[in-house]
Amino acid sequence: MTENFPRSYPRNAWYALATSDEVGREPLGTRAVDQPVVLWRTTAGTVVALADRDAHVPYPLSLGRLDGDKIVSGYSGFAYDASGACVRVPTQEQVPYGASVPSYVAREEGGLVWVWLGETSLAGLRPPVAVPWLTDPAWETFGGHWETRANVVMLHENFADITHVAVVDPVISPPVLSAGAAPPLEIELTETTVSFTRDWPAAPMPAWQAGAIGASPTEAHPQREQGAFLSPGLWADRWDFLVPDGPQTFRFTHAVTPVDAGLTRHFWRVSRNFAPGAETTAAFRPIFEAYYLKVREVLETMQRVVHQDGPGRNVNVAADRVVLQVGKIMRRLVADEG
Amino acid sequence: MPTQTIVREYEAELEVAEARVAADDVVALTLRHPDGADLPPWTPGAHIDVILGEDQLVRQYSLCGSPADQGQWRVGVLKAPDSRGGSVAVHELCPGARVRVRGPRNHFPFVASKSYLFVAGGIGITPLLPMIAEAEAAGAQWRLVYGGRSRASMAFVDELESYGDRVTLMPQDEAGLPDLPGLLGEPLADTLVYTCGPTGLLDAMETNCSAWPTGSLHLERFSAREADTTGDTPFELVLQQSGLTLTVPADKSIFEVCKEAGVSVVGSCLEGVCGTCETEIVEGEGDHRDSVLNEDEQEANETMMICVSRCRGDRLTLDL
Repeated sequence: MTENFPRSYPRNAWYALATSDEVGREPLGTRAVDQPVVLWRTTAGTVVALADRDAHVPYPLSLGRLDGDKIVSGYSGFAYDASGACVRVPTQEQVPYGASVPSYVAREEGGLVWVWLGETSLAGLRPPVAVPWLTDPAWETFGGHWETRANVVMLHENFADITHVAVVDPVISPPVLSAGAAPPLEIELTETTVSFTRDWPAAPMPAWQAGAIGASPTEAHPQREQGAFLSPGLWADRWDFLVPDGPQTFRFTHAVTPVDAGLTRHFWRVSRNFAPGAETTAAFRPIFEAYYLKVREVLETMQRVVHQDGPGRNVNVAADRVVLQVGKIMRRLVADEG
Repeated sequence: MPTQTIVREYEAELEVAEARVAADDVVALTLRHPDGADLPPWTPGAHIDVILGEDQLVRQYSLCGSPADQGQWRVGVLKAPDSRGGSVAVHELCPGARVRVRGPRNHFPFVASKSYLFVAGGIGITPLLPMIAEAEAAGAQWRLVYGGRSRASMAFVDELESYGDRVTLMPQDEAGLPDLPGLLGEPLADTLVYTCGPTGLLDAMETNCSAWPTGSLHLERFSAREADTTGDTPFELVLQQSGLTLTVPADKSIFEVCKEAGVSVVGSCLEGVCGTCETEIVEGEGDHRDSVLNEDEQEANETMMICVSRCRGDRLTLDL
């Protein structure tokens, strides 16, 4: 399914680079879409994203320090403000013309720092996707993040088709996924998004979920599976158990950020609107973490296969329409960048 | 675990927030979701279907507002003498009226470039407006030549005023027709040409850009090219994903045959203009009759519009 283009992801997109907690008054150096980026906060707490490279010497600014609302190179002593402009150099009064580093539009939402690393003027013309549930008190959220040694397109293809869940991890998988005939897969397309829904007949919830929330492990409820590719950097999925009192819902948020063609940063979040509390979270977390780690392992294996033996020509089935449409959108967005 | 796959586009009933006369025979409609929900995101060049009247006529209109504005969509509609009556119905929409829309989709994407030449004819200005806004915001070099019957017939001139002399207005009754050979005779380096308007303009643009590097000219057609269907023959259609082999008779389209076989396909204009039904070719030579792909794309034979295009040989395999 994946064709390994040299660059298979657009720069013009909102990508999560770090959690809000990771960015403070110590410069944080990172990489995304093949670019070095330094993240830091002004004294007022605003996140700043600059190119992580001193304009004077090839030395990362992230190895320097902050001085008020300036970042100072740890080698040359050049100081830059939040706009990337050099505002002080050690050896002369006047700052040389053109001394600046690229600055990127950064924003925070859902406990994540999102940065636009492409054409700056487009940052204001491509609205970011809202993820209010990540900070809404009605939803309890836990999660983690790591780097997966696979191209971001591999991760997109994984989220686009959850047929693999029952195969990779029968324990986490809702029993209904292995039960037999599946309901129709309804796919909705827009210019740059793809979403899918399946309405499942009544079936029990997974044993680990029933156990943790004290529900009956055999009682059957209709369920709804939904997934949405909302941008090159974001999937938002949900699974509803339609119990009589009102849906018990899991929301699965995946912010995926290409570091380079072989490495992707993956922020995963599991949110729920039922059974709040640390005890249930402590019961759920290892189950989801183990599942996502298994997926990571599989994706890294597939990336190795592609790297060693080439992309191959994979046979598609009709239900792969989501995967194929996501691929189409990604390729078109890359082509738009000229 | 057999799974039936149903594919459709976003569809909603929107409310007309504003219906403004933008020029003679042109109305600018602003559409919002009645629940105040955000509308799907889009990029310049995108269009939507508007479904009108009792007859459920489907018409495509370019989005000409700002992609930053998620709460509303704006389209500009020319009231054309149209035997099917679609645009007349649009002109009868008042604020508060409800109208069904589908999409958005985009077969006219705006590609990054240092320099652009925009050429608009009449209502063809609509897809170019958001492109111009982005070119300007990015600091690109650009120029617009905007032709129309008369100044009074040309819409959105007020919005273009702020761009000063980058815009050349050419009402035909004042300035005659744009001198395309003069404008395009010498290919400009690193410049993309974007054009939209009546068929005559688009055909002339294609002719005048023939010396330009491949991929320089980007255009979108609002109306279909005439196709010669005499001599059409049946052929075998293999649907790779579905594992089906069907026969396409001389008098049915691939699109119709797929639908009849229960294969989920999306389509809209059904005359090869909107691009919705674009499908990948796995094997076989497509007989391209659409107005979406340019000559190079048709020759590359990677995709085809299944609502109008057929097969050159006896057998065609599609990724469906």
